[in-house]
Amino acid sequence: MHQNQNTSSQDSKEKRPKFFINDHIDILVEILKRLDGPSLGVAACVCHLWSTVARNDTIWEHLCFRHVSSPPPCSVRPVVVALGGYKRLYRVCMRPVLSRLSDSDMVKRVWTRDEIQLSLSLFCVDYYERSGRLGAGGGGDASASSLMFLCNTVNV
Amino acid sequence: MGPYGSTTCSGVSSSASSSSSSSVTKSPAEIDGYLADAGYKVRASDLRHVAQRLEHLETVMVNSPSDLSQLASDAVLYNPSDIATWVDSLLSEFNHQPLMSLPSDLDFPDGAVINNPAALSGETWTDNSSVISAVPQQNHQLTVVTAMEEDSGIRLVHLLVTCAESVQRGELTFAGSLIETMQALITRVNTSCGIGKVAGYFIDALSRRIFSPQSFGSAAGSTHENELLYHYFYEACPYLKFAHFTANQAILEAFHGHDCVHVIDFNLMHGLQWPALIQALALRPGGPPSLRLTGIGPPSPDGRDSLREIGLRLAELARSVNVRFAFRGVAASRLEDVKPWMLQVSPKEAVAVNSIMQLHRLLGSDPNRNSPIEMMLSWIRNLNPKIVTVVEQEADHNKPGFLDRFTEALYYYSTMFDSLEACAMQPEKTLAEMYIQREICNVVCCEGAARVERHEPLSKWRTRLGQAGFSPLHLGSNAFKQASMLLTLFSAEGYRVEENQGCLTLGWHSSPLIAASAWQVMSMAEATTNHQPVGILNQNNNANHV
Repeated sequence: MHQNQNTSSQDSKEKRPKFFINDHIDILVEILKRLDGPSLGVAACVCHLWSTVARNDTIWEHLCFRHVSSPPPCSVRPVVVALGGYKRLYRVCMRPVLSRLSDSDMVKRVWTRDEIQLSLSLFCVDYYERSGRLGAGGGGDASASSLMFLCNTVNV
Repeated sequence: MGPYGSTTCSGVSSSASSSSSSSVTKSPAEIDGYLADAGYKVRASDLRHVAQRLEHLETVMVNSPSDLSQLASDAVLYNPSDIATWVDSLLSEFNHQPLMSLPSDLDFPDGAVINNPAALSGETWTDNSSVISAVPQQNHQLTVVTAMEEDSGIRLVHLLVTCAESVQRGELTFAGSLIETMQALITRVNTSCGIGKVAGYFIDALSRRIFSPQSFGSAAGSTHENELLYHYFYEACPYLKFAHFTANQAILEAFHGHDCVHVIDFNLMHGLQWPALIQALALRPGGPPSLRLTGIGPPSPDGRDSLREIGLRLAELARSVNVRFAFRGVAASRLEDVKPWMLQVSPKEAVAVNSIMQLHRLLGSDPNRNSPIEMMLSWIRNLNPKIVTVVEQEADHNKPGFLDRFTEALYYYSTMFDSLEACAMQPEKTLAEMYIQREICNVVCCEGAARVERHEPLSKWRTRLGQAGFSPLHLGSNAFKQASMLLTLFSAEGYRVEENQGCLTLGWHSSPLIAASAWQVMSMAEATTNHQPVGILNQNNNANHV
């Protein structure tokens, strides 16, 4: 019986090669590109390899612009990269903005250009404030940041 | 006995009876008779108060079930036929929190008393009550105390106005005695929010004016302090963000199609307005223009060139996003000391002039004398800017009479403090309040050249700018959409953006507090003044822009 099992599994090995996702990073990237933010965060905790792959900024770029009706112009990418990258853009601006603006309409909808533009402007202000803090001897994230109002929901 | 003995009951019930008697079909005397027949020693007029106390008692019982058993066994209750006293004695058995320290929901009744009855809207009340929900355990006790505290709040406001009136008449000793009365009264009012907090600042400002007039300028503070407080004000509430984003949107639209642009900022501070403009220009379809920024600010006392430091930070940002950028700092302690030649405007560039809460500093109180504002507006016009963005407080704090100014300021800053309650971030909120407090002190304590916070409403600015040769530029739907989005993000329900003949105002509920407008130079056909139609300032050399 035991030998039969071995031969049958050996046959299946020759007929259908086993597929390990970690051998195919490009497919992994394609899959991760389609996840939502929290799932992507979970995926980044699976193992070292996945964590490295999840740090790939293009994955976060897809996440940021997934809800956009038309793809953003190519001039956007160098600006976002210079200001801190898409992962930071998502974490600091897009996700809070998206969750706030979606709360007011109950329907899931596409982003408008105005909303993207506002997020990018806020992202730029954030970069500028961080550059000031580092220049002054580095206050870390504890000091004043004008984007804190996005993170702390104010309940009235 | 609880804080409200039977003596207070009668005091409160006198106001209660006036409201309840109108809805009662039988006369109060008849009801008193019925109650007496049933064995209760309570007057109909006391019933409302007793009902409130019973409600309170029920809440307290629900909240502290452990005390109930004690009540059943140990409490000694005297004379239950006297309902009011009986309820009070029950309440005294419980260790409940002192009823005085409550957030008060009585802001706008007081505002209504002073100035504008329209301020007392239903929205205001619900907003205040939701502030109170942030302190959950005191929620139910509110109705009992309000009557007492409301009296104190209203009295405070009346005293403030009376004091201001006596200051205007020059009766300083009487005013001084009123200050003492108010300082005693305010200990009985909650000063952590609402009318108590605002009254505290105004009492302080009045006492400075009366008792230490020589220290008028002492509330000014150092440049560095002012910049810091400004930054915290920027963060705690959306007024400055609204100003920056709206002005930037207008400037962006005005710069459409120009490759060489120059922005003149009348008050650079930390330069927080400009990163967003730089980024928007970087992503402009067709590519970014080359941008020059001239930042005006006070000189730094300790030898640091703070203007240049800000310029370097902005330049570094512009370099990261590939926008050609040049910066020039102009240090001047007063805005009227700035002369056009210092700005080195070149004829081929499109100029935008940006003034965030600066123009009001140039107004004098005497309308007959030539104030610096006219000279300034005339040379701004001579620069031939594509756009002039003006953001100002929407308030009338430049009236010649002290009492008028005082009551306007009391109403305006009450509204502003109320909006600040929505901010939960510390220390931002406290420091933002300090920023506002300095403005209050300047409006109330200072006179003559020391008083720089001479706010005027949008209608007056329209007239003034129109007479100086500017015509309004409508801000457009993009600016309105952006401002609305910004407010949605800010997540506090009371802020309102409104459109006012092409200008945008941001306010708290129905009161606009800050107004943003844009202006362009009137064309020669429209100009009705005697100004020479000077197009471009042409006396500049070619400045080296690096």
